[in-house]
Amino acid sequence: MIKAVVDNLKGLWSLVVGLSVTGRFFLSPQKTVHFPRDVVGPEILESFRGPLELVPADDQGGSKCISCQMCARACPGDCITVVKGDAGKAPKEYKYDFTLCCLCAACVESCPAGAIRFSHRVYMVARSREELRLDLLADLRERCGLEPAPAPAPADKTKAVA
Amino acid sequence: MDLSIANFAQIIIACLLVIALMVGNAVVMVYVERKACGFIQRRPGPYEVGPRGILQAVCDSMKLLGKQIYVPGNIDWILYFLAPVLAFFPVLLLYLPIPFGRHLTAMNVDEGILLILAFSGLGVVSNILAGWASNNKYGILGAARAVSQAVAYEIPMIMALLAIVFLTGSLSLTEIVERQGSWPWQWNIVVQPLAFFIYLVSLVGETNRAPFDLPEAESELTAGFHTEYSGMGFALFFLSEYANMLLVSFVCAAFFLGGYKGPFMDGFWWMFIKAYAVMVFIVWIRWTFPRVRFDQLLNINWRWLLPLSILNLWVTAVIVRFI
Amino acid sequence: MNSLNFINPFGVSEDPGSYVGDFYTDNFAKGAGEGTLILNLGPQHPSTHGVLRVIVELEGEYVVRAEPVLGYLHRMHEKMAEVKTPWQYIPNMGRVDYLHPIAWNWAQVGACERLAGIEVPERAEYLRVVSCELNRISSHLMWWGAFVMDLGGVTPILYAFEEREKINDILQIVTGSRLTMSYFRFGGVSADVDDRFVRLTKEFVPYLRERLKMYKALVTDNVILRRRLEGVGPMDADLCRRHGATGPILRAAGLKRDTRTDAPYGVYHKFQYNVPTGPSDDCLGRYMLRLAEIEASLDIVEQAMGSLPPGPVRIDKAPKAGWKLPAGETYFAVEGARGQVGVHLVSDGGKNHYRVKLRAPGFSNLSLFAEAARGVLLADAIAILGSLDLVIPEVDR
Repeated sequence: MIKAVVDNLKGLWSLVVGLSVTGRFFLSPQKTVHFPRDVVGPEILESFRGPLELVPADDQGGSKCISCQMCARACPGDCITVVKGDAGKAPKEYKYDFTLCCLCAACVESCPAGAIRFSHRVYMVARSREELRLDLLADLRERCGLEPAPAPAPADKTKAVA
Repeated sequence: MDLSIANFAQIIIACLLVIALMVGNAVVMVYVERKACGFIQRRPGPYEVGPRGILQAVCDSMKLLGKQIYVPGNIDWILYFLAPVLAFFPVLLLYLPIPFGRHLTAMNVDEGILLILAFSGLGVVSNILAGWASNNKYGILGAARAVSQAVAYEIPMIMALLAIVFLTGSLSLTEIVERQGSWPWQWNIVVQPLAFFIYLVSLVGETNRAPFDLPEAESELTAGFHTEYSGMGFALFFLSEYANMLLVSFVCAAFFLGGYKGPFMDGFWWMFIKAYAVMVFIVWIRWTFPRVRFDQLLNINWRWLLPLSILNLWVTAVIVRFI
Repeated sequence: MNSLNFINPFGVSEDPGSYVGDFYTDNFAKGAGEGTLILNLGPQHPSTHGVLRVIVELEGEYVVRAEPVLGYLHRMHEKMAEVKTPWQYIPNMGRVDYLHPIAWNWAQVGACERLAGIEVPERAEYLRVVSCELNRISSHLMWWGAFVMDLGGVTPILYAFEEREKINDILQIVTGSRLTMSYFRFGGVSADVDDRFVRLTKEFVPYLRERLKMYKALVTDNVILRRRLEGVGPMDADLCRRHGATGPILRAAGLKRDTRTDAPYGVYHKFQYNVPTGPSDDCLGRYMLRLAEIEASLDIVEQAMGSLPPGPVRIDKAPKAGWKLPAGETYFAVEGARGQVGVHLVSDGGKNHYRVKLRAPGFSNLSLFAEAARGVLLADAIAILGSLDLVIPEVDR
């Protein structure tokens, strides 16, 4: 009986200790990063894997890609389509389907020319699946400032439903 | 008490004020609860709607109003829709004898606490109806839990309050407050700390708040007796939960914490400050502790709170009688 | 159904017995006793952590029988191996068990390396140990929070997430992702650590030790939690043996079985760490054991970071994406956060695997539930389910 009472008093004390822990956290500063007003530090984004991008060979929008198809073959999700250009090794088309990509780096590691890498675009937004099927050559030219950024397609609701 | 027109009008006005208080309280408490929970968990809580998220509760209530009321199949229609209403309306009555000042009472009845205790039992009827009528197994389990819990926790609650009644010699809340002084050491909590503790525990049990929220235990019964309620049906349960919480906090303030009396200046603001302090404490323990198991919940009550409260009552009676 | 009720507004179900469940419920109902209630917990239930479905037969609040129903998250990982090259299969491993992906990485990569006879550079072995143990800690932290949430305490999981985010920050530096990591490569690891990784890891170890004291004060010592867990759901060594339970459940039952020491792989033999066992085979024992394991893992991380050898992190001429496995058959097991993670791999020398069998510890551990939950309260059954530390994607694969 006395042991039960002592046990219960100890139990009540443990509840007080618990309250003091949460009470202390109540008063201590918050950990949240308020996203639109505040962003995480750049050093965290350095290693973040966003969608693929082509490594620029020059500032004229040229890429290092030699259209060898190694990346397309290595990809577990079949998300890369490279079409060889008519003249030379440069690709005519480099299509990349981000919806299928699992960010495993198989393509990056198998590329003999070092032509692709992961971008750090963490704040990417898409309104439809189409917007996630990227054209990496256009993206590269855009980053070089050769092509104006395409205006985001207006969300056409009727089309999306149909 | 004479039932003159003036008296009747007074009660009507009081009822309207009480409804306003209940809704306002729910709005405030939603914000307070979510903010407190957020701060405890080191996040800001509601932040985007209005400055610092003040309008969040308004948005929530708008959402609840606008939601489709999804009615499950094979329910008992009358009871299903009666239950939320039954949960909400008896609470109105309970606010009438609460004193906010010496003469600021909706209905100054001599047996105020008796009225509150008698009608607060109605709340559980709505729980069992809700659980039973919604044709849901979780609902039935929740309703069964709600009943045994409410029955169990009402007894030590009454015993604890009875000790104060013995001391004061009156069932009127105004009288009980009047017998306490303005300063904390003149309050009943100093004379009756055990009764206060018992009341505080059974208050959490009575209002079905964590760690005693077994009728709606989320991780076990999804939402317990109100699993199948959506939209306004759920909102009424929600409203009555907070209204009940406020009520027991008012009673706690009146019985143990000196009611509307306080240092420097007496007045209804003290009543609100004290009641909301109790509410914040309830919120605080909700976000700190895990939930007890059902047999433990009843064990705490029958094996500890009840004998303790009887002992407390007996000692109080002896002291009052002979000293 | 609804319109019928509008016509007949007072209609309660005319024949409640006519309700027909699905195949599993009907099959389960055949063995039901008189006056019992059959309740489907899940597949969408707050405490089944995803899409586990448990059919329970309740008598009042007591569980008479319980039967888990699996397959709601079956994603054919084993079948996918037959159409993927070994390299392409590594990312799959991060998705099998999203809480401890590195262990699965290790199991798959280790099996291929064993079959092909690839030696791994020492620095890579150290990094494998560090990342695997950090990941184990984060998995246990996640379990800790989710378990307390099952018991009704919502706040601790958010504290656990604070530490988890720190571990994610650390592991993101080398793996590039925060959840479904694929860090291991045949013959090493994908990336070397940088100064930031070393600094953050060295800061993290004492930080977590400090935080574990807070965990103890807030949760472990809490009287409500202790009384919820003490003596609930005992799983003795015999029960564990019959169902093939591994990992913390088996060790809590008092058996010192840990793949890291029983069948050493990597460089675990170089570190001094204790394999905790006990203290009891009930839910509280499993709870205490996992917290003790966090500390043991911290010891390993500390030692490994202290003696990180220089050198390459991958062998020269490491296998590329199109690499073919030599023909043969092998089994490689590592100790995951939930128990023994094994990959049984058969290759016919072709481009893809011939067959891969994944041994998921959660699958065996879940099979203890039906027996352990017999005759307990519903709330205890939830506690037992939580103490098994199930990750449903891993159970269903």
